[in-house]
Amino acid sequence: MEIYVLVKQVPDPEAMVKVKTDSELEIENKYFTNFFDEVAIEAALRLKEKFGGKVTVLTVDNRRVDALRRGISMGADDALQFSDPALEGSDPFSIAKVLATYLKDKPFDLILAGRQAMDDDAGIVGPSVAELLGIPHVNSIIGLEIEDPKKGAKVTREVEGGKETLSCPLPALFTCQKGLYTPRIPQVMNVMKAMKAQIKKVDLSAIGLTTTDVGPHSAKIKLNRYFPPPKRPPVRIIKDDFPENVKVLVKLLREEAKVI
Amino acid sequence: MALDFTFTEEQEFFRQTIRDTVNRMIMPRVKELDEKEEFPWDLWKEFASLGYLGLRHEEKYGGMGTDTITQMIFYEELARGSCGFFMAVTMQILMGTYFIGRFGNEEIKQRILVPAIKGEKIGTICFTEDQSGSDLGGTRTLATKVDGGWRITGRKQWITNGPIADFATVMATIDTKLGLKGLNFFLVERKSENRDGFVSGQRLHKLGSRCSVTGELVFDNVFVPDENFLGEEIGKGVQYAGEILNEVRVMTGMSALAIAKEAMEDARQYANNRIAFGNPISKYQLIREKFAKFWAWYEASRTFLYRCAWMIQNKIPCINECMLAKYHATEMCMYAVEEAMRIYGGNAFCTEYPVQRFWRDAKFLLYGGGTHEVLCDYLGRVFCKD
Repeated sequence: MEIYVLVKQVPDPEAMVKVKTDSELEIENKYFTNFFDEVAIEAALRLKEKFGGKVTVLTVDNRRVDALRRGISMGADDALQFSDPALEGSDPFSIAKVLATYLKDKPFDLILAGRQAMDDDAGIVGPSVAELLGIPHVNSIIGLEIEDPKKGAKVTREVEGGKETLSCPLPALFTCQKGLYTPRIPQVMNVMKAMKAQIKKVDLSAIGLTTTDVGPHSAKIKLNRYFPPPKRPPVRIIKDDFPENVKVLVKLLREEAKVI
Repeated sequence: MALDFTFTEEQEFFRQTIRDTVNRMIMPRVKELDEKEEFPWDLWKEFASLGYLGLRHEEKYGGMGTDTITQMIFYEELARGSCGFFMAVTMQILMGTYFIGRFGNEEIKQRILVPAIKGEKIGTICFTEDQSGSDLGGTRTLATKVDGGWRITGRKQWITNGPIADFATVMATIDTKLGLKGLNFFLVERKSENRDGFVSGQRLHKLGSRCSVTGELVFDNVFVPDENFLGEEIGKGVQYAGEILNEVRVMTGMSALAIAKEAMEDARQYANNRIAFGNPISKYQLIREKFAKFWAWYEASRTFLYRCAWMIQNKIPCINECMLAKYHATEMCMYAVEEAMRIYGGNAFCTEYPVQRFWRDAKFLLYGGGTHEVLCDYLGRVFCKD
């Protein structure tokens, strides 16, 4: 099977994130590969192990390629970085446009992506790529069965109070949810291969896009401003004796916190 | 631009990969490993299957042949997890297999090194005895030349991986009167039905690093063939030991960095949440001072250690630098774990909190790679040009 996996490098959950200005965040330089994308890579590798073929990881990022190296270290065969100065300030739809433009002429059986990136939690790129390519997509899958790629795939996802199983022809795009697979821990031989890998860069002109197709001016989403969440109010200790303190607590919960 | 302190993008990727591996494979089990005080065979096999045990060996034997800085990044990240597991792994990667990789003949490498890199055979190195450790010249384990080989007699103590070791690189003297000049290394395997070899003696129960098993090995007139002599010529054992001790000391320093950082990050979280007199205790200046001092010493230590790693990698003589860096890092770590204990207050004294484990694990760093008393005596002598 010919499989493409869409990946993104996101800030480590331990990284400090501060609002620098209305339009800019200050993020500590700690990044890792989006967890859901690793699940997608794992799913792709399992299919490759079953049917043979090739797994290629793709990212749109002008600076960070560690998500691609992570893909190679897990066992992906190839990696491509889409980078171009004009991509700065692109919204998820522009990123999807880049990926879909590249993929439209490529033969493939399946595209996999994480269900959402853990930084912006948007979950837009995967489904948008599918729409632009005119192929079916199913999001947040927790089960994936393919007996014969020509006959399509059976996918499972969680729904309110249960699970649903869908049949889907291929090629298709699925976004992967936690629970589909546990991403493998890379072997050191592949880690070394990933460290030494020359990451291939593709710019906009190579795929026939121009600077006006992407970037802030073509964005469908406009960022108004960043603002930090309100600070947690200090803990209040009710010093009255029992049972007076219970009365005070109930009053506060009702009138101030408004939770009862 | 000769002076450059940055890690490459590739090195950062390698660090992140090890970090993730440790977080997923070891961190969830750290408490259990410490409490059980048993060698974690399941974890060992799982970890070995990733290939890291061959980090510094040649590719033709299943290794990766990485450079020193890459190895040190690995040690620094691995030591964040279980200190005991770190000791078992580093013994296998570095001390336990170094001389076999360097001096073993092809048959020995195929029979011992290849399965060691796969984690199928466990290796160790034997320096310490009841009356000698940092004082290698006091070694009494005797190697006597006989027809076709050597006979080894003696007892070795404090042997990491000793109770489970399949093979050992053993320092023995050809004549106790020769002191350091009489020392040599020999490959000795565990006694089996068809092979003479060492047997296990008493197992030690340790304060920290408890999942690495440590004990005594007994050599009762053990015959080893000539090819098990590990060296180019007789009497060069100390020189060979010197080659590896630089790496051992910087590696020990890396574990000091990791333990100190884990302890202090843990203490920071505690200090930010523990309320006393109406404020988190991290608001108080005496507590903040502990973090500031740690931070200053930690950064200095880390820079110094990576400089030593760079010197080893570039084959620049650095015996004194490696001793100084190990000494500095370990003392920094002692400060960090001690102050982390104080930040935790009375809670440090119960095993519910991890801080006491950092404190216990750190203590062994004072002795591994030479006690600080011996190191300081030597370094002071060098400084005074005595």
